Amino acid sequence: MSEKYMKEYEAGYTPRLVMEEASRCLLCHDAPCSKACPAGTDPAKFIRSVRFRNVKGAAETVRINNILGAICARVCPTERYCQQGCSRSGIDKPIDIGRIQRYVTDSEDAFKMEILEAKPLNGKKVAVIGSGPAGLSVAGILAQDGYKVTIFEKEAKAGGYLRYGIPEYRLPTPVVDREIKRIEKLGVEIVLNHPVEDIEALKKEYDAVVVAVGHNKGKVLPIFAGKRFVKTAVDFLHEAKRRKGNIKVPQNVLVIGGGDVAMDTVTTLKLLGVPQVTDVVYETFAEFKASKKELQGSQEQGVSIIDGYVPVALKGKKVVFQHRFIPAKLEVKADLIILAVGQYTEAGLLGFEVNKLQEVTNASGKVFVCGDVAHNGEKTVVYAVRSAKEVAYAVKKYLGGK
Amino acid sequence: MVKKDLSVTFLGVKFPNPFCLSSSPVGNDYDMCKKAYDVGWGGIVFKTIGPKSYVINEVSPRFDKLDKEAEPFVGFKNMEQIAEHSLEENLADLARLKKEYPDRVLIASIMGNDEETWEDLARKVTEAGADMIEMNLSCPQMTSHAMGSDVGSNPELCKRYCQAVKRGSKLPMMAKMTPNITDMVVVAKACLEGGADGIAAINTIKSICNIDLQKKIGMPIVNGKSAISGYSGKAVKPVALRFIQQMRTAIPNLEISGIGGCETWEDAAEFILVGATTIQVTTGIMQYGYRIVEDMCNGLMHYMEEQKVDSLHELIGKANKNIIPAEELDRDYIVYPQIDEDKCVGCGRCYISCYDGAHQAMEWDEDKRRPHCNHDKCVGCLLCGHVCPVGAISLGEIVFKKTAKPGRKIKDIRL
Repeated sequence: MSEKYMKEYEAGYTPRLVMEEASRCLLCHDAPCSKACPAGTDPAKFIRSVRFRNVKGAAETVRINNILGAICARVCPTERYCQQGCSRSGIDKPIDIGRIQRYVTDSEDAFKMEILEAKPLNGKKVAVIGSGPAGLSVAGILAQDGYKVTIFEKEAKAGGYLRYGIPEYRLPTPVVDREIKRIEKLGVEIVLNHPVEDIEALKKEYDAVVVAVGHNKGKVLPIFAGKRFVKTAVDFLHEAKRRKGNIKVPQNVLVIGGGDVAMDTVTTLKLLGVPQVTDVVYETFAEFKASKKELQGSQEQGVSIIDGYVPVALKGKKVVFQHRFIPAKLEVKADLIILAVGQYTEAGLLGFEVNKLQEVTNASGKVFVCGDVAHNGEKTVVYAVRSAKEVAYAVKKYLGGK
Repeated sequence: MVKKDLSVTFLGVKFPNPFCLSSSPVGNDYDMCKKAYDVGWGGIVFKTIGPKSYVINEVSPRFDKLDKEAEPFVGFKNMEQIAEHSLEENLADLARLKKEYPDRVLIASIMGNDEETWEDLARKVTEAGADMIEMNLSCPQMTSHAMGSDVGSNPELCKRYCQAVKRGSKLPMMAKMTPNITDMVVVAKACLEGGADGIAAINTIKSICNIDLQKKIGMPIVNGKSAISGYSGKAVKPVALRFIQQMRTAIPNLEISGIGGCETWEDAAEFILVGATTIQVTTGIMQYGYRIVEDMCNGLMHYMEEQKVDSLHELIGKANKNIIPAEELDRDYIVYPQIDEDKCVGCGRCYISCYDGAHQAMEWDEDKRRPHCNHDKCVGCLLCGHVCPVGAISLGEIVFKKTAKPGRKIKDIRL
């Protein structure tokens, strides 16, 4: 039953359809969409290029502004960013910016374009820990400016959450592979199967070190700790993606959580053929965290979503929930329980506590943090790209570049 | 359910409605014409019948289209010449159509290559039962320079051929004009002097629609080459309306069959208002099929009801007197744009166009994302209104210029 999971869920635009969508764009002055993109991808400019039949130019705009443009096109919760400001909403509905961006980046591949170029090496070496979206982006940006960048990745393949987190139907592995290849072509070296155990050694060997290890572990609520039939969403999604959907899942699964990771989990379960998927969510629908698109996707798959409940006890495989606002109780028994209740960083091996990361960075001056670990804001790919741009700028400044 | 009499009388012939197929690929044989009549077309101009000696040999492919954004067929380029069936087959089709559809109008389009063939064709189509003759003096893609638009741009030749047709037939006759000429009035007058009863306008405009950027050849490509040929469709409507208006102005009460980019009842109404009695259609049919006549008829009936008229003749040429030389227009006032802030979606297109294409009068509030018109700079061109995607900009306050004639009153201005 991995077929459905392996197929990209949303079809790409045809040339005709992308032109229809681009023609809906009002081509705003001082466009709100471009102002709303955390990574500065500049959708107003690339949509205008599409409209004026310059797809190659559009691809350049996307790629120069967003080194993970093909990934963001697929996974970005655009409703919260560019599309939220879209003036077209004043008429009917916003432009489907993500899908246009996907057409543009797919065309970039079809045309075999090589947009980014690396300047000659400037003699400075930078180490990046982690090859997730933040690590890849910061490495790619620095490599373009002539820095010799080496990424250290603990897994057997690069990509971090892109490769092992976001499900295949939403982000196909070949897309991730192509993005990584683009970054490698800029001269970035990725050392695989290499967990960093001693950051001090890196600090000696490199002119700067960027920590981009992400929020790599799923949280476990205390009542579920140590239970064999309980998994974290991070682990579940990792296994599903690594094994191309060929995993055994019981017939009745309970998921707890209501963010985008929870939606990815429930939809994956459904696409893998699990008949009973129940999602119990802390937030009520009015407070929902997941993007509308992901929520809609899971509902289309027939997931039962129950909102507003907190898990309070575990009796065998039965979870007891209490509603947050009304006197209501819920009991759900399941063969497998998956927790999508948040993530944290496990980086003990690096030799310092994550919550002291900022301090470490500030003290040494040589270590920078990037991506999810760098801030408490949005944990999205587009924010990782934004963070990478900021960190790359800081690294360059530190190393005396422009 | 609207019910209005759409019938018109054109050159003395009564049409159940003004909509006709124009002489083209859409009226190529009996079967096609039968279907068109069945769907509701009031008349058919059968595809141009040429002299027996002229052999038609078409290219493949033979069309191209101009697109704009996601809109295909903004304009259409066509390389087909005249009817490829034999003269006998065409005459037989005419006879059969007239017999089976006596209440519909059947117009024979003919094209000779000398006086003798014009006269002979006129006689033959008359004998076959046609109600009317259209002289094709205007096809721009003939392989003979003795035929088509090369003839239609020569007034003297047109006159002689009209006389020849009139010798061959007493049927009402219209001459079809080429737009590939500076002044159509000269040719139209020559045709009328030669005996034409009315004018059909316009035929297609000589064009190159697109160039293949890789192969560096015009489209469509015929074994590595292409040729200039006729352009039609919505894009040519403004040109057609202009020629009709000019002829109606120079030759009052001239009866005209309007042609050029008519797709909707609104297009048709425009042709009628500038003086067309019937309207001929091809490109719209090629793109959408004969069925488009249903909405043309019904839409036109609703328009008649709105206009409170019982006959289309009450509308023919009603715009002619309102289209005057530029030098006679009232230049005493400015009308400022009026911006509806509730309708405005804040795209700023008016601001961009006013700055880059007009007089930098539209100012932009960055925080509120709303435009504001500075009357000190505004010249009242209303470009802003044309680019607004939501129709939030309309005609507002009228102000007389300092140079205006004294004593003028705003209430007298008709916007």
